[in-house]
Amino acid sequence: MKRVLEGSQAVAEAVRLSRVAVISAYPITPQTHIVETLSDFCAQGKMNARFLRVESEHSALASLIGSATTGVRAFTATSGQGLALMHEVLHWTSGARLPIVMAEVNRALAPGWNIWIDQTDSLAQRDTGWIQFYCESGQEVLDTVIQSYRLGEEVNLPVMVVLDAFFLSHTYEPVDVPEQEEVDRFLPPFVPKFKADPAAPCAFGPLVPPAAYMEMRHSMAQAMEEALRRYPAMEEAFEGLFGRRYGTVEAVHCEGSDIVLVTTGTVTSTCRQVIEELRGKGEKAGLLKLRMFRPFPTGEIRRHLGGAKKVAVIDRNFSFGASGIFAQEIRAALCNEPGHPPVFGFVAGIGGRDVTADTLKEIYEQVKAKESPEKESVWIGLQEVRNET
Amino acid sequence: MEKRNDTAKTSLLILPRTFTSTEANKTGSWRYLRPRYEEKTSPCSAACPAGEDIARIEMLAEEGLFKEAWETILRENPFPAVCGRVCFHPCEGKCNRGEFDEAVAIHQLERFLADTARKNDSKPVIVGRNEKRPEKIAIAGAGPAGLAAAYFLTRLGYGCEIFEAREEAGGILRWGIPPYRLPLDVFRAEIARIQDLGIPIRTGTPLGPSFLSEAKGKYAAVFLGCGHSRPRGLGIPGEDLEGVEEGLPFLASIRRGNMPKISGPVAVVGGGNSAVDVARSVARLGGESWILYRRRREDMPAFETEILQALEEGVKIRELLAPVRLERKDGRFVLTLQPMRVDGKDVDGRGRIVPDGDVETMEFAKVFKAIGEEAGEDWYRPPAEDRDVLRLSNCTVSMKPGLPIVVYGGDLAASLKSVVHAVASAKEGAIALDILFREGRENLSGGLLKCRVGEGPSLSMEIHLGGPRARRSGHVVGYSEINTDYFQMAPRITQPRLLPEERLRGFDEIDLRISANMAIREAGRCFNCGLCNQCDNCFLFCPDMSIHRGEGGKDRWIDYDYCKGCGLCAAECPRNAMVLEEEEGS
Repeated sequence: MKRVLEGSQAVAEAVRLSRVAVISAYPITPQTHIVETLSDFCAQGKMNARFLRVESEHSALASLIGSATTGVRAFTATSGQGLALMHEVLHWTSGARLPIVMAEVNRALAPGWNIWIDQTDSLAQRDTGWIQFYCESGQEVLDTVIQSYRLGEEVNLPVMVVLDAFFLSHTYEPVDVPEQEEVDRFLPPFVPKFKADPAAPCAFGPLVPPAAYMEMRHSMAQAMEEALRRYPAMEEAFEGLFGRRYGTVEAVHCEGSDIVLVTTGTVTSTCRQVIEELRGKGEKAGLLKLRMFRPFPTGEIRRHLGGAKKVAVIDRNFSFGASGIFAQEIRAALCNEPGHPPVFGFVAGIGGRDVTADTLKEIYEQVKAKESPEKESVWIGLQEVRNET
Repeated sequence: MEKRNDTAKTSLLILPRTFTSTEANKTGSWRYLRPRYEEKTSPCSAACPAGEDIARIEMLAEEGLFKEAWETILRENPFPAVCGRVCFHPCEGKCNRGEFDEAVAIHQLERFLADTARKNDSKPVIVGRNEKRPEKIAIAGAGPAGLAAAYFLTRLGYGCEIFEAREEAGGILRWGIPPYRLPLDVFRAEIARIQDLGIPIRTGTPLGPSFLSEAKGKYAAVFLGCGHSRPRGLGIPGEDLEGVEEGLPFLASIRRGNMPKISGPVAVVGGGNSAVDVARSVARLGGESWILYRRRREDMPAFETEILQALEEGVKIRELLAPVRLERKDGRFVLTLQPMRVDGKDVDGRGRIVPDGDVETMEFAKVFKAIGEEAGEDWYRPPAEDRDVLRLSNCTVSMKPGLPIVVYGGDLAASLKSVVHAVASAKEGAIALDILFREGRENLSGGLLKCRVGEGPSLSMEIHLGGPRARRSGHVVGYSEINTDYFQMAPRITQPRLLPEERLRGFDEIDLRISANMAIREAGRCFNCGLCNQCDNCFLFCPDMSIHRGEGGKDRWIDYDYCKGCGLCAAECPRNAMVLEEEEGS
């Protein structure tokens, strides 16, 4: 049934439909309506779940580790500083191979204190062993949460579903909310491959010596690869039931285009419009939306970008002392391909600043005008800063 | 025992698990601090002259165990229904909760528990000594001190007999305190319970000065609890004029059911509880009450709540006025009063007063004298201290040769004249006699010290009898020792009370009863300072799972093989029922 929902509410509906058993969250800013809606669902009996209100984000995830170890579906949501506080436990979750799903609302890190969109918080967790998806719409958010439980449970890895602060978390859009029976068909009850059993007491996560640690970590690397392999079949099943499919990346007019813009999150929607405009004027412009970030879909990226003359990556994040993080990853994916296109890096919309159609057109014009990038990253839309003494 | 490490291994899932118990690792060897359960003394119980185990009473009340809570009071005080009403509750002044928000309404809970037991016709199980003692003890006076002494001594196995001059037992409870504070049926029920222990009360049996010597041989000891009944004079001209009445006989006459109509302005000279009771009774009978007191209002010995209620009922108080002369004029009394002022301090700490300016006169229809009483007979007075006479905190023990041991108790020797001090005096006397008979005079002071609640002077009969309370530390828990993170602010219960205009219509009890729900909620406000209420914080916080619990979760002990001495249990104990000590030899 189509309903007009906030992005945050779409997450909550998906969590409800996924029959999550334990939700744990720390209810401080930066939190969102996600856990507010979920606590309502629990209080009203719309969900048969335990809602744990804990004393910090660190504890939120730690308590889910305990819960998920008993073999149940678990969920949390956080943002910005909260995610930063979870960092240690993020590593533990993936190492313990618990398929917990988290909604992560991209918010800038302080100081300066800023609760608007910026991807640096989730990208700083790149190496924690979590699968990551970056979403564009309320519908995609809802679908991705449901997909995440299935994919994560198949390979025993946690999944972070990332959505833009405000532009997605607080924006109302029509969202098709599927029926419970349909979701149940796609996502059957969780059958854990292992769980804590009082009949056979054991300790999880003991000391692992050098003789075994490396294999343990390698198995996580293999699980990430397996996730990428299983992804198409998972989406096949999802499309069969719900008629929607997103891909690990989405290529829009990439084939035969001279310049391809690479985007993530809600900027993609603006970019779709810009590409159509440019093509209307005879420009050979294309768009690649990057949706799955971990595991990184290197093959798909090479396939869609390999034929372009130039690639421009728009980053709403920055790795200080280097460049935009998506640009680094795209460069790394392409660099071993003979004759790969040059990659232009642009940093835009940091800390919630608008990335408008004009911003994207300016990027396009700059790329078109240059043979090769002069810098690793060009910051777009900076205002002149006067230092008054 | 086969233990192994195992790896749940599929192609993608290498998961380290261990099935080896960590029991082999005796983490207790790391410990240099040792936590220990140690119940302590709550400040309220130390402040209660009767040493009631208040923290435990409220714990039981909160659990709805009203009868057990009431029995816990009865271990230390035979008069919960009376004290719940008329005690000035020094316990509440020391309540740690008072520093957090407001003190727990201990007296209201005491009254609730007593009234509930009476409503349910509960029969208490009162702990005592099974063994009967050969010594017989005579008790002179069936007031609160005498009755309490008989109660305690009977529980200790002594045969007691009470002699009372008046036609009914009760003393000040029967004849002095007005019904609006203490209804007759309330204290009669308490006395009936004492009589049920098999104590004979010989009413209408006044004793003469020869009684002490006659008692020799028949009684091993005499407890004198005859109280103060002889009024002190004002020492001014005209005080014996016809129509000038004494306060206590007036109150006794009301207690008999006489309700004379009074009109016009009435002077009540004095500042004690009797003066306030007279003034409030006069107001109920139609008179316009004036309390005239020679010192300041804050120096009045009457309890503050009584004074405040008197003012609510329209009683007027004039301070710093000393009567100098009383005359009759046209059927009225003319009272000449000397204004006073405070100049320095008296030995007792109150302001020293000196005359200040010209005298004034006031006219009254009636005058009551209520400036206090003294011992009714000279032989009631405790003898001066010598090698055979010991002055204790609330009684005097005379062991003069040729006489039975005599305990001067109640108002005759207590540090303060109140019902709860009478109980304290009776308990001290009873314990003293028990120690003298069983262990001898040389063990008296040591034996009394062992029964102290906290630093004293309150004594506990339960401790004397070796009950569980004897195992507690005497350390009085301070507010800073309470972990207030575990408590939420909650307002103190308000006392439901008749409106002032409703009170003046008669002598109905003005404080109304509270519901069981209200009582449970109020008891739940108690920190239970120093006592374990099995909240299980220690169990939940222990990182080594070294806290073990017995059947039904009732008892707790620490497994020192594994306790690392981190101290979390003691730090998270909300009520300071644990201690953390340095390990010996560390």
